Amino acid sequence: MKVLKITPEKCTGCLRCELACSYMQTGQYQPAKSVIRVSPFEGHTSYAPYTCTQCAEGWCMTACPVGAITINVAGAKDVRDDVCVGCKLCTIACPYGTAFYDPDTRKAFKCNLCGGDPACASACPTAAITYEDTATVDWIGDFAAHRAGRLLETV
Amino acid sequence: MTTATVRTSANVPKAAKGAAAQPAQPGFAGKLLRVDLTKKRCWAEAWSPAEMQELLGGIGLGAMILYRETKTKSGKGNVSWDHPDNRLILATGPLAGLPVWGTGGLTVVTIGAGTNGPTSTQANGFFGTNLKYCGYDAIVIQGQSKDWVYLYINDDTLELRDARDLAGKDTWETQDTLSGKLGLTGHQLSVYSIGPAGENLCRFAAIQGDYGHVASKNGVGAVMGRKKLKAVAIVKGTKPLAVADPRGLMQAADDIAHALKTDPGSKSLYEYGTLPGVVNLSKLGVLPIKNYTTNVPPADITEWAAPKLREGFDHRGHQCNACGMHHCHMSIIRSGPNKGQTIDEPEYEGWSGAGWTIGATRPDQIADVAWLNTQLDRACLDVNEFGWICGWVMECQEKGYITEQQLGFKLAWGDIKGAHRLMEMISHRKGFGNILAEGVKRAAEKIGGPAKDCAIYFEKGAAPRGHDHRGRWEEMLDVATASTGTMETGNPTFPTEVGQPARINPYDGEQVAHYVAGLRGRKNFEDSLGVCIFTVRCTLELICRALNAATGWNWTWADAVRFGRRTAAINRVVALRGGYTPAIEKPSKRYSSTPVDGPAKGQSIAAQWDKMIDVWYNDVGYDRKTGKPLPETLRGLGLDWLVPEVWGKKA
Repeated sequence: MKVLKITPEKCTGCLRCELACSYMQTGQYQPAKSVIRVSPFEGHTSYAPYTCTQCAEGWCMTACPVGAITINVAGAKDVRDDVCVGCKLCTIACPYGTAFYDPDTRKAFKCNLCGGDPACASACPTAAITYEDTATVDWIGDFAAHRAGRLLETV
Repeated sequence: MTTATVRTSANVPKAAKGAAAQPAQPGFAGKLLRVDLTKKRCWAEAWSPAEMQELLGGIGLGAMILYRETKTKSGKGNVSWDHPDNRLILATGPLAGLPVWGTGGLTVVTIGAGTNGPTSTQANGFFGTNLKYCGYDAIVIQGQSKDWVYLYINDDTLELRDARDLAGKDTWETQDTLSGKLGLTGHQLSVYSIGPAGENLCRFAAIQGDYGHVASKNGVGAVMGRKKLKAVAIVKGTKPLAVADPRGLMQAADDIAHALKTDPGSKSLYEYGTLPGVVNLSKLGVLPIKNYTTNVPPADITEWAAPKLREGFDHRGHQCNACGMHHCHMSIIRSGPNKGQTIDEPEYEGWSGAGWTIGATRPDQIADVAWLNTQLDRACLDVNEFGWICGWVMECQEKGYITEQQLGFKLAWGDIKGAHRLMEMISHRKGFGNILAEGVKRAAEKIGGPAKDCAIYFEKGAAPRGHDHRGRWEEMLDVATASTGTMETGNPTFPTEVGQPARINPYDGEQVAHYVAGLRGRKNFEDSLGVCIFTVRCTLELICRALNAATGWNWTWADAVRFGRRTAAINRVVALRGGYTPAIEKPSKRYSSTPVDGPAKGQSIAAQWDKMIDVWYNDVGYDRKTGKPLPETLRGLGLDWLVPEVWGKKA
């Protein structure tokens, strides 16, 4: 399946992904409602975007008591607004903190891969976010192992 | 932070009366944030879609506020830069916070401490983004606080908070402290502040923000210091921003990005920011070396080529809002006495002001020059004017015009440690530094004699940017005739679009004057949009496409030029009210001297100066004798209402 791949070394912290995402998801520019978010590291010298990894075993989906989270055409776990009751269980269940709650709509919201054409990947000027087929859906595990291994080598 | 927190809110009934809840005009947040430091009061003020279309933001909005609000109570003249009634306007624009590259910008507009006249100076980072998502297009500050305060903005929470514990801290320490205290990292918080130089009212103090972005011209930091406002801290707001045509805006933004990446005029800027300037400008005689005493760089200038300037550091991108340029970087120094320190990669003007101008030209000094540039940002001194001051002191000491005893130590060409010591003296007004803190013109006049003849400045009290303008005549004429103390026309960008030639003879005074006058307008338009100067190096047609998509308007390049010229005329009227006359539109003796070597050797701008001024005045439609925009010029710009004030009721 195609998922969002993130290369933190390429991120410069310009936050264009948040702008594009918020427009695609809400129809207005409003980074506070973006489902991809950029975090700073190492003081103010490094940045990395993070968003839903579309886990094979979606804990958000398992936790939802009303079955509001379904799999859309792009293979993404997507929240159905007409079913969601805003209980926030998915936001607690998600191990990566990428399921959110919107106090204005009183619904949960999360990355739905924009239905197969993610706006963040198109907007990123440095290709830090790409949309590609990966051998493993849970790529973040591989990424973490690789990263940790590299850090250990330098110890 | 335990005492004297003054809390106000945009939601209090009285304040919110005039403020629109939802922006009616796409592209704009819809409100101005007013702050009175004397009364410790903040309030929101609505502005109408008609005003937005007339003034845009940035310098367009700022110039009109100066015109309306800085007149003295008697009606004669302007309030001076240090008066409580002076306004400090921190303005964004219609493109700020949107996905067009480099749109975190702010324009600072005020009566500046350098010229005591209107000023406009830009910086980027995330100020504009954070402010607009809080719901404001600009901050207008008046009054003076008794104690140090900082302005805290978080959506509708507007507070003037005690900043006595921040006093004495440099700009980076101030941002670190506020980030820690508020528990916000990265771009969740944008902080623009002053360091010791602003606190001590140095005439060329700047306002610095977001680790390395500097609004540096005309002493805006001194204005902030006089108001006892240490910092403005803006939490990234949570409000929505509507645009008229979101898809069209993204397409225009991507087309601008494509142009920046591929056009020969902007490609190197995309790849390396302003770094290539060092080598490229040296080939034109425009790199200032040792206070204009020579234009011949050492043989190894290739060591200062852009890729080499990056090689010596551990680099991390540090872009402004939505920007894809390979321009702003944080660097970590790899070796030497400052090993491990984080610095902001210098702009070209940093390499010239903290390096070449003061004789630090050896390749093994590159890391030291970069370090000094960041120290100047942290102290909040304009790196350009510091370069002219430091280079001047170095030359004067070499020639015996300023003694070691007077200065307190020996300062030779290229001495970075000594330059840093001088910076500390200036920013704390210690010893001889107290004279130098008045800026290069006032210091040179104070010392007088042959020392004065070595100083680089404009008679109006401003200092040039970091070039040798004896090889770039356009900019010397531009700043000399500008009402703001810095460029009003700017560098030629797609000149043929506005009917100007692609190239001119740079040493033909008449051609230069026609060019500077003919290109007027574009820069003021750019500086009103909330964009970075470097991300609009494309055609005006493309910029207007982005503006129109954001706002739903139908601007053309001709509207943009007319807007810019109208703004310049309003600034001119404010300047005239403050006593501005064409008599002060002059460069100093050294600044307009004839280069003795290098590519511009023997080319004398002084010999053609009067003719250039004559041509400029004729072309722009201002009166040569009084400096006033002629009645027909004002009417042509739609400023009929200004005619009686400028020319009397009979005109």
